[in-house]
Amino acid sequence: MSERDMLEEIRRSIIMGHLDAEDEGFDGSMEGTPGTVELVEEALEARTEPQQILTVFNAAMEEVGRLFEAGEYLLPDMLASAECVGEAMDVLEPHLAGTADTQKGTFLIATVKGDLHDIGKNIVITMLKGAGYQVRDLGIDVPADDIVAAVKQHKPQYLGLSALLTTTMTEMETVIRKLKEAGITDVKVIIGGAPTSEEFAQKIGADGHCRDALEAVEKLEALRSAS
Amino acid sequence: MIEITGRPPELLSAREKDLIHAASCEVLETIGVKVRDPKVIETFTKTGAAMAENGRLYLRTSVVEQALASAPETIRFDAPAPEHAFTLDASAEVARFGSGGQALYLLDRSAGSWERRAAGQEDLVRLLRLCERLPYLDFVTRPVECDVPKERMDEEKARAFAANTTKPMNLANLVDPSKLQRVIEIVGSESYLSFIVCLVSSPLTVDDSAVERLRAVTERGIPVSISSCAQGGTTAPLSEAGELVQLNAEVLFGIAFVQTLNPGAPVLYRGIPLTADLFGDCSPRWCRPDSIRRLTLATELCRHYRLPCCGTAGVSDEREPNAQAIAEKALSLTYVALAGAQYINSAFGMLERVMTVAPAQYLIDNVIIETLAETLKKRHDLTARQAAQQVARAALARFGVDLGPEAESELEAQVAFIEDGREEYSRGALDRELETIGSAVETDGGSRVFMKSSRKGLRAGLLYTGERIQGELDLTCIQDDLESL
Repeated sequence: MSERDMLEEIRRSIIMGHLDAEDEGFDGSMEGTPGTVELVEEALEARTEPQQILTVFNAAMEEVGRLFEAGEYLLPDMLASAECVGEAMDVLEPHLAGTADTQKGTFLIATVKGDLHDIGKNIVITMLKGAGYQVRDLGIDVPADDIVAAVKQHKPQYLGLSALLTTTMTEMETVIRKLKEAGITDVKVIIGGAPTSEEFAQKIGADGHCRDALEAVEKLEALRSAS
Repeated sequence: MIEITGRPPELLSAREKDLIHAASCEVLETIGVKVRDPKVIETFTKTGAAMAENGRLYLRTSVVEQALASAPETIRFDAPAPEHAFTLDASAEVARFGSGGQALYLLDRSAGSWERRAAGQEDLVRLLRLCERLPYLDFVTRPVECDVPKERMDEEKARAFAANTTKPMNLANLVDPSKLQRVIEIVGSESYLSFIVCLVSSPLTVDDSAVERLRAVTERGIPVSISSCAQGGTTAPLSEAGELVQLNAEVLFGIAFVQTLNPGAPVLYRGIPLTADLFGDCSPRWCRPDSIRRLTLATELCRHYRLPCCGTAGVSDEREPNAQAIAEKALSLTYVALAGAQYINSAFGMLERVMTVAPAQYLIDNVIIETLAETLKKRHDLTARQAAQQVARAALARFGVDLGPEAESELEAQVAFIEDGREEYSRGALDRELETIGSAVETDGGSRVFMKSSRKGLRAGLLYTGERIQGELDLTCIQDDLESL
């Protein structure tokens, strides 16, 4: 296969949300055929320039975004494509070390204490990975002290807090208070989850609120541009 | 209370219900439930359950069967006013309706428009008083929480109930189990009380914070609805068969816990299999035809077990009272009631996917249930399809909405979607769903597995994509009551 064909295969594989050979892809028919991860490995073995592969990632995600905007793709399709890019980035990254495109920033995310819900958190993780951020997932039901400790350790630029319950959303305020008590002021805190709102974010001193994962990507891009 | 005289929908055959039960037991035996709480582990390991190193507990089917056998078929709900007390009988063809909630917002009618604001304790009192006035409201589930510090929440809520309702009281949540005795003292008798507990969060994970709550009410023998609220496409398979299998396993696990702790303790089956809005932001779809169908299936499954059934119906996805909300509520209330739910929660006031309650909607919902009662009284041989369409049409007409040809065909399409199965219920098909569930619980972030596996089902039309029913509401028939609000 020529390099051009190989890159086109990667592009199509991402658009079809075909992660790897075990994945059934967009319409349930692609299991057993090489997916994005295998194709990227193959391209690297064939000495394709990593930067060229990265360009294909961006182009494919732009097309996925267009299909989503047009209503042809739904959130699971977009999520599958973002997951392809996120996983393939893990393969590509060692070959790209130090280039500007890998330095968008680190995003730490957790579902707060008392809350076991992970839907929103996981979608945000996948979408942000697909958009090129380094994401660290602290999991669900995470106590405020553990979040503060993780912020101290990993020094992320952004912290995402998720809650689905009205009874647990108040825990977000505890996290923000503890961050301040620990003297941590250089991390941007973004909150999300069904019961949360922009007003609630302002009330508890968060830097932003996201209705959904797409807005999370937009907000982070805006925060990044502003800084 | 209304007598259910129509013909049940029977969307699932006896064979299909047996298949689901067997698959749910297999989920509990081979995929297991993630448990950290030592008391849950201790309770079940005494029954021979195995605890694996991966933190999952594998429950024996014999324990489930024993629990189903020891759960009582009748439950008494007393009330401060004896005329409101009732006995729920799992085999009776009777439906009772109650409020529901933990809504965050309250929607009021002001100068001809709707105004939404944060709800609090004053609203709780106001809504409890409203519940007293509604003839079709048989029991009161707390609609909003008190906006007081957590440590005062249980007592304040109990005081609000004690002072403002004479009907059976479902307090739903208990923030601090150690306050139960105080709560009982405030309301006057534990026989007035019931609760709702979701012991297992989807997918298949025990919520540690629910354990003590459930133990406290179970040990006192207070009725408790064991709840699971899965969302097909995010916390469960998008396939209705797969979602039912998982949800049923989650509810059975909770019932087994209750019955192992206190055999014969009163327990209601409360399965809420919703779908996730995969066209939008993944919020739960409470009242679209796909969700109404699944709520009906869960009710049928409960009746299969001959357990007292806490149904869920009438939670509209709409943000404010309108024609679509009336249609959603009419269809869901009719299907869930005819499928056999005897204790239907959240039937009053609920809008915006449980986020909002509206006092005016309580009045509207009372009219919808009255319409359901009248429809079933007029003819005893209606099929669920006929009853649902007639109730929706008649309820809309009472609010001045006459369905034109387009809206009529939309209503028919919604009912057809509820009635017509799109999935194969075979052992092979369920095995594939078990594989998805197993894969999701083993993966950090199982929702990604469910979402990705939903792509095929989405394209096969498992989520309804029709239109909303439009029409301006004329609120004249509730005008006097509205003004008194």
